[in-house]
Amino acid sequence: MREATSARVAYLLREKGFSAFVIVGGLSTWRKAGGHLESVPKDDLVKLPSFA
Amino acid sequence: MNELLPIMVRHGYGLIFAVLMAEALGFPLPASIAMVAAGAAIASHTLWAPGVICAALLGLLLGDSILFWLGRYSGWALLALLCRLSMNPETCILRSAESFYKRGKGTLLIGKFIPGLNAMAAPLAGSMNMRYVQFLEFDVIGASLYSMSYLLVGYLARDLLAAILRGITAAGRAMEVAIGVALIIYAGYRVIQFANYRRYDLVPRVQVKDLIARIASDSQHLQIVDVRSHGYYDKGAERIAGSIRIEPNNLEEEIKNLPKEKELYLYCT
Repeated sequence: MREATSARVAYLLREKGFSAFVIVGGLSTWRKAGGHLESVPKDDLVKLPSFA
Repeated sequence: MNELLPIMVRHGYGLIFAVLMAEALGFPLPASIAMVAAGAAIASHTLWAPGVICAALLGLLLGDSILFWLGRYSGWALLALLCRLSMNPETCILRSAESFYKRGKGTLLIGKFIPGLNAMAAPLAGSMNMRYVQFLEFDVIGASLYSMSYLLVGYLARDLLAAILRGITAAGRAMEVAIGVALIIYAGYRVIQFANYRRYDLVPRVQVKDLIARIASDSQHLQIVDVRSHGYYDKGAERIAGSIRIEPNNLEEEIKNLPKEKELYLYCT
């Protein structure tokens, strides 16, 4: 299902009184449309366990 | 089921190899049932135990190794592909990753017994840069546990399987009823899941071009929110400029940081 996570979270936020919407197509559609992007800040990156 | 043992007799080791390798590669094949049937075939001296074990281990290890190396070089793209049939691909990936967090390399020992994780463990290990030799050590043990368990069940249940083969109608019907009930329960589960997701269709959507126009005219009263999870595991990950991230699996805490006076535009992959 497309936008499964954003739709679920938006639904829950609306139940809490937020005015929430879903961006159709998500990041991939935004990128194709030429929308502005930025790098995820290093501090926000989640490190997976590594066996190296 | 009645046809399974005769097929096993005809195609034996090649069938075991092919079915287990296909399962290791993520195809939804009944490898456990094939192994139970092989166990019964061993008990009836139709197949040779060492040959079956070698065929099973070879199939599993070859399939796992292919996914291990694909995982090493494709990272999350392969995991997303393997989770594609899931109702929620992000959750599918994260659950598998969490299993590695909790159990570490031990995931490779039990992964084959856990639906969903069975095809994910090898590519996850690859994407996490596990050494191949070390991966093989754990995978050999995990594959042995998996194949031996079902072989043992088939070996011990050989009388039941033989009875079915002799055409005991009641046993055959009982099996059909059991499979039918299982299929109905599974279908019901998927219908409930689908109904849960249908309610999310009520959430209003906005097209990207409309949002870009909205940002150009009034960016002060809106906030773009990134609800991806796995995007944050990739080096060099990007997001929509000016967006903030909330963790979708920790919503109760994340809500405290959201501006209630602004319109929120959410996106995932």
